[in-house]
Amino acid sequence: MLMCICGAISFGLLATASKFAERNRCNASALTVSVFAWAAFFMLGQTFRLVGHVQTTWPVATLAVGLGVCAAIAYFAFQTSIDVGNVTVGWLMMNLSAGVPALVSLWLYGEKMSLIRSIAFVLAVVSLLCLFQGNRLEAKGKNRGEA
Amino acid sequence: MWFVLMLVILLTNGMSSFGLKVLQAWGLPSSSKYVYLTIWYAAGFACIGAPMLGKGLKLGLKEIRWGAILAALSIGGQLAMASALQQGLPGNVVFPVTLGGSILIVALASRVLFAEKMHPLSWAGMAVGCVAVVLLSVS
Repeated sequence: MLMCICGAISFGLLATASKFAERNRCNASALTVSVFAWAAFFMLGQTFRLVGHVQTTWPVATLAVGLGVCAAIAYFAFQTSIDVGNVTVGWLMMNLSAGVPALVSLWLYGEKMSLIRSIAFVLAVVSLLCLFQGNRLEAKGKNRGEA
Repeated sequence: MWFVLMLVILLTNGMSSFGLKVLQAWGLPSSSKYVYLTIWYAAGFACIGAPMLGKGLKLGLKEIRWGAILAALSIGGQLAMASALQQGLPGNVVFPVTLGGSILIVALASRVLFAEKMHPLSWAGMAVGCVAVVLLSVS
């Protein structure tokens, strides 16, 4: 259980440090490049240490390139979003996005829709509606305040 | 702008983690994930780095420093989660505690360290969203 708590602290600090970096006026694209470069460097070391060579098939490489691009765009969007909105909402959105592969799995692998998963999807939609409407009202309030 | 960014995060971040499931479905050995993740990170680096280079933007020392901290925290979180799973804790305990816990930490930090304010409806959305994340990771 200690490791779970360490994981939660680590991920929580990751989002908090992203906000600190934004307050430090770090450029979002430069920061994304830096994060991915460090992580690629670490993974390359791990690959040589544990596998001994960097060899793969074309389908695996194509999949990795496509989804790696998605990950970089996601982190860039998150880093940009915390400049204009709340870090908590951005981080929640990063975690709610787990619903997307779950939905794709249902369609691609014919997985069954369990009751818990159905409830989770309904709650995710309710949450998104509340967050979007809440943000709209916040913006309206700010505009009124400025006027 | 904010709505578009949230939709981009929702779609791209969700899909980015789908690859490990595909590798599992293809029946590849677990060692293949190391090469996969190396290419995954390198592709992300090139995707944002190439247009940045085209615009003549340079990587500053503060971005390199913050990038190292963020990468270490990300890898640290992944390793902690992997160790918890290796120690025999079931996934339906590890994922909700780790992901739900991280959202609570961020919510606390945003209030205490950054004094961020949210509309009550956004707080309600956050609470419902936390439950959705926990249920998604349990299922």
